[in-house]
Amino acid sequence: MKKIFTLILATLALSFALQAQDARQRSVETIVGDVVAQMPAQTAEALASDMLDLAKAAPESVIQLAAMLQSPEMGANNRIEYAINGLTNFAATPGNQAWKPAVKEGLKQAAALCTDPVNKQFLESQLWLLGTPDNTVVTAPIDSKVLRKSATSQEKCEALYLKERMLGVVPEKDILKAITDKSRTVRGTALRRYAPPTEAFAAKVAKKFKRLGTEGKVDVLNWLGDNKIESQLPLILGQFGSVKDIASAAIEAAGKIGGDEAADALIGQLGGENGAAALKALKSFPGDLKEKVAAALGNASGQGRSNLLALAGSKGMTNAAEQIFALAAEGDPGAIQALPGIAKSTDIGRLANLLDKAKEADVPGFAKGFAAALKTLSPAEKYDHVIKIIEGARHPERFFPALALSGTDEAVNDLVEAANAGSPEAVKALGKTGNYKAAPALLAAGRAGNLTALKDYVSFVDRFEKDVDRKCNALTDALAATKDTDLLKNFLAKLGNTPTSKAFAVAGSYLGNPDTEVAVAAAQAAKNIAAKCVDDLDATTKANVLGKAIQAFQARGTADDGYAVDEIKKMLAETQAGSPIFTLSDEERKAGFEMLFDGTNLDKWAGNKEGYRITNNEIYVTSGYGNGGNLYTEKEYRDFVFRFEFSFVRPGANNGVGVRTPHGVDAAYGGMCEVQVLDHDDPIYAGWLKDYQVHGSVYGVIPAKRIKHKPLGEWSCEEIRVQGDHITVTVNGEVIVDGDIREACQGHNVAPDGSNMNPYTVDHHNHPGMFNEKGYIGFLGHGPGVKFRNVRVLDLTPAAKGKKR
Amino acid sequence: MDQSRRSFLKTTGAGIALFTVAPRTAFGKMGGDNHFIAPSDQLTRGVIGVGGIGNSSSHFVSDQNCRLVAMCDVDSEHLSKTLQRAKDTFGETPKAYTDWRDLVHDPDIDIVHIATPPHWHALMACEAANAGKDIFCEKPMTRTIGEGKRVREAVKRNGSIFRLNTWFRFKDTFYGLGTNVKPLKKLVDSGLLGWPLTVRISGATGFAWKFYWTGKENLIPEPVPACLDYDMWLGPAPFKPYNRHRTHSTFRGYWDYDGGGLGDMGQHYIDPVQYFLGKDEDFPVKVEIDAPQQHPDAIGIWRSITYTYADGCKIILEGEGYESKGKVPYIEGPLGKVYQGFECTIPYVMDIINELPDPEPTNTDFLECVRTRRPFSLNEDNGYHSATIVNMGVCALRLGRNLEFDPKKQLFINDDAANLLVDQPMRGEWGKLLK
Repeated sequence: MKKIFTLILATLALSFALQAQDARQRSVETIVGDVVAQMPAQTAEALASDMLDLAKAAPESVIQLAAMLQSPEMGANNRIEYAINGLTNFAATPGNQAWKPAVKEGLKQAAALCTDPVNKQFLESQLWLLGTPDNTVVTAPIDSKVLRKSATSQEKCEALYLKERMLGVVPEKDILKAITDKSRTVRGTALRRYAPPTEAFAAKVAKKFKRLGTEGKVDVLNWLGDNKIESQLPLILGQFGSVKDIASAAIEAAGKIGGDEAADALIGQLGGENGAAALKALKSFPGDLKEKVAAALGNASGQGRSNLLALAGSKGMTNAAEQIFALAAEGDPGAIQALPGIAKSTDIGRLANLLDKAKEADVPGFAKGFAAALKTLSPAEKYDHVIKIIEGARHPERFFPALALSGTDEAVNDLVEAANAGSPEAVKALGKTGNYKAAPALLAAGRAGNLTALKDYVSFVDRFEKDVDRKCNALTDALAATKDTDLLKNFLAKLGNTPTSKAFAVAGSYLGNPDTEVAVAAAQAAKNIAAKCVDDLDATTKANVLGKAIQAFQARGTADDGYAVDEIKKMLAETQAGSPIFTLSDEERKAGFEMLFDGTNLDKWAGNKEGYRITNNEIYVTSGYGNGGNLYTEKEYRDFVFRFEFSFVRPGANNGVGVRTPHGVDAAYGGMCEVQVLDHDDPIYAGWLKDYQVHGSVYGVIPAKRIKHKPLGEWSCEEIRVQGDHITVTVNGEVIVDGDIREACQGHNVAPDGSNMNPYTVDHHNHPGMFNEKGYIGFLGHGPGVKFRNVRVLDLTPAAKGKKR
Repeated sequence: MDQSRRSFLKTTGAGIALFTVAPRTAFGKMGGDNHFIAPSDQLTRGVIGVGGIGNSSSHFVSDQNCRLVAMCDVDSEHLSKTLQRAKDTFGETPKAYTDWRDLVHDPDIDIVHIATPPHWHALMACEAANAGKDIFCEKPMTRTIGEGKRVREAVKRNGSIFRLNTWFRFKDTFYGLGTNVKPLKKLVDSGLLGWPLTVRISGATGFAWKFYWTGKENLIPEPVPACLDYDMWLGPAPFKPYNRHRTHSTFRGYWDYDGGGLGDMGQHYIDPVQYFLGKDEDFPVKVEIDAPQQHPDAIGIWRSITYTYADGCKIILEGEGYESKGKVPYIEGPLGKVYQGFECTIPYVMDIINELPDPEPTNTDFLECVRTRRPFSLNEDNGYHSATIVNMGVCALRLGRNLEFDPKKQLFINDDAANLLVDQPMRGEWGKLLK
């Protein structure tokens, strides 16, 4: 519960601290410090509650926050920036107007006080966010010269734009003039932007049509089609015989407009030089063309027929099935291609016949048609039909793909048998069964050098294997079966999604691959696995493999690789080796110590066991820590020796040990005291941290001797001894506090005059709980990033000795 | 003549000498039939920004349909490298510019290809339109809603052709669907799924939000590399001390220039949805977010962003690591659902879809649009709409709260802070170019 942040502006500090205390009796500096320690907020609720605290203490809170901004060279402003921006956004939220003036005032003063240009600009940007928007889309004044002259195409466009601005709509005569302009830019702009898409106006445009050049006609036809001007259909259909560009535009327009007349005209064009354009228009034609197409098919030949077949096939026009089958039997390629679109289950027999007898070149086409005919059947029905056909077929292998489509176990068995007998078609078909039972045969074929089979095997594994360990084994097998770099890359990517320790080792073994891309794929896999490994990775192996992964990424060196390296480095920095299970030393056992946390359980603790979670045999203050409160001993103590080890994981981590404290209060004030736990070496505290706030201090009462902490992740031992009013704090064998708390404040834990300003304590606050007779010992966290282990206590309370509670 | 719109004051930020305002006639008006015409009707293109997408294989093209004649970059290394590559590949060296305004006003150029970070898109597009050019602009279309409005106006005013470069509404397999968007459009149009629809763009439906596009906090100022004109790289963006992570391949992580994974992929993913929902002329009325607090400079991650249209249609974006569990539909309607891989609760849906008419064709050949002056399939109008959806999400994330939007006014409802983000100031003289 640290109020670690204090003010550089010492003169201001005192007055604010006196005026602005919140319901929890916190001073502004405490509020600011508490909020900064929570930054960034993880949820909207947490953010709102933090920012409400700050807003209530504005403008002082803003000025204090701004005073904490350091030179950008220090690289330490992020949490302050989060807090200020969060507050700005809070004050700018509709409904929060009440807070806006004070926040604004704070920002104004802070910006005026700020000397660093970067920070100043940041504060001014926040001030801007509390301003009033001007959302007029400013347009340049109307330029009469442009209107008069309009010499170039661009000026003519601009003239239309300006007229619309002046008059609301552009006069029709201007639009008509623009539509007949020699510049396509002007025509296109007039049609797209300004021409009213009405029948009446279209009639006026149509009158000009004859006089237009080819491009002009195309432009008008496009416009008629885009706007579906039905009344001009006769004009449009009349252009089908024109030069190609005009005809194509007319066909496209007719296709967009739709209707019987257009459909007939378009179908009529399928056989000629406009065939391709007409086919395209008919595919997106708004309306049902079935009957018309079937009728036309009867008399068609050549290009017209093949276009009709393509249309019938792509649109599933089963009413034309008989005609299509007849043509397919003759070997008409268009008809064969149309089969899949129109085949039904009643066609299975005749399609099988056609497929079995087909010329080699037509086999794929008929096979597709045959497969399509099966699609509405159940798997078992598919299998039954196909197996019967295979038994009587001249070319059984032509039906393997269809057999595979059934996906049944029987189909797999049959195909495996055929594969074993040496049929490459059967192996290929096994890959299409979508049945995981086919996997072993695919792997076997893959091991024998069939890369497609191996790829199919892996795709099956990826799709069907849900057990992460089995999946890892299967992928390991596949990797071992090939040296093909594309496959290795593909398989390694999938291995990255099986986060087990084995997969990690396997990925690691490909890091030395001579192919850069394979090595990077392995590095990517190792990174992904390490990030979410379900096993505890051995710390040495992890560092070793990830170290090589970094090298692989660096060897390729793209921007994404740079990111990956950063990610891995972060991962390694956060890697925890894990702790052993601790037991009491002989000396401690003899003295009567009790183990409170040996690494296995929190049975002797009460309170927030969600936020204080056992990880790697350690109590880790998790990132979920927040509103869940503190962790307290189950028993209360008066006099005691409390021993533990602590380690900082994140820079600037902040916690504390509460002494003789009730649950749920700020132990620094409501308890006897709080012994600070703080990574005070973090640059964010540089220059302003008070001596009574450094690690080990009896917070706000007795400053500790400032020590230099071990590097992040390393463990330190601490002992807190409390006897009567006397407190001794020892870190790594060095005594850093040895004092009498009553003496330290000359017996005045609260101000004698009853005010909030206590001249006897170093932080000038009241400490009403200081003389508590007894209370709990607690860990008082403020955010994640610190962990504890090997926690022991010796109860020195005379009454407790030799007597069970 | 309105000087501020037409001219291009050469002052930006840190005291660069004033350049004489070029007379309009010096550049002429090159629209339409007056375009510079190379032999055989060949169009010409100049690209701004050749370090990233502008140098990608799909854009590094120069052929008889369209010749790459100029390039511009503020990083001299990017520029010289790409010039050399052009020389090696095409056998001719394009003109090199370091100030994009010179490229935009080069009379030999028909098409200006904007391949810079998004904070430049609006300025360049407006100036190119004012110079009578056609525009090929990379996504996202603009960094703010207000900039989108201005691009629309400039393109309309000058009769330009504008293409926004994403394409899933008209071609290519659409991520998790395993097909292109056409059958989806047909299915949605058919009404077989019912109405309103909810579309879920999520890892669970086959879409990645690329959360590696996050920024870094506490960037420590670094010396600007000699090859980089950092002031010109920033342009309209607020001045912040240089750090390599701000620029080049990692700029997407900063609100000043883009919108993270949402900015990068948002228009790719959302524009096709807008298309098949038939919302090309509509906007959502509400955006709701679930996200950790965002840093004012460096973009972070988010859990979900939900857009709601007035008719009840929803687009839900699920952040990486926060996907719905289990099997969730990509599209969900009262009568049917479509899952990843086009798995559908309607039996034989593909057969049904085949029998439906194809969607009305659109113009998907940009060069043909330039020649015939027809609107491209994804243009400044529908592109502005889908870019606005992305930018609504950006505003909500930056403010850390849900917002309501008025589709008519195209502003947030009774929300000053959100509407400040609609129209953000530009640094130095740059803002004048947009008026």
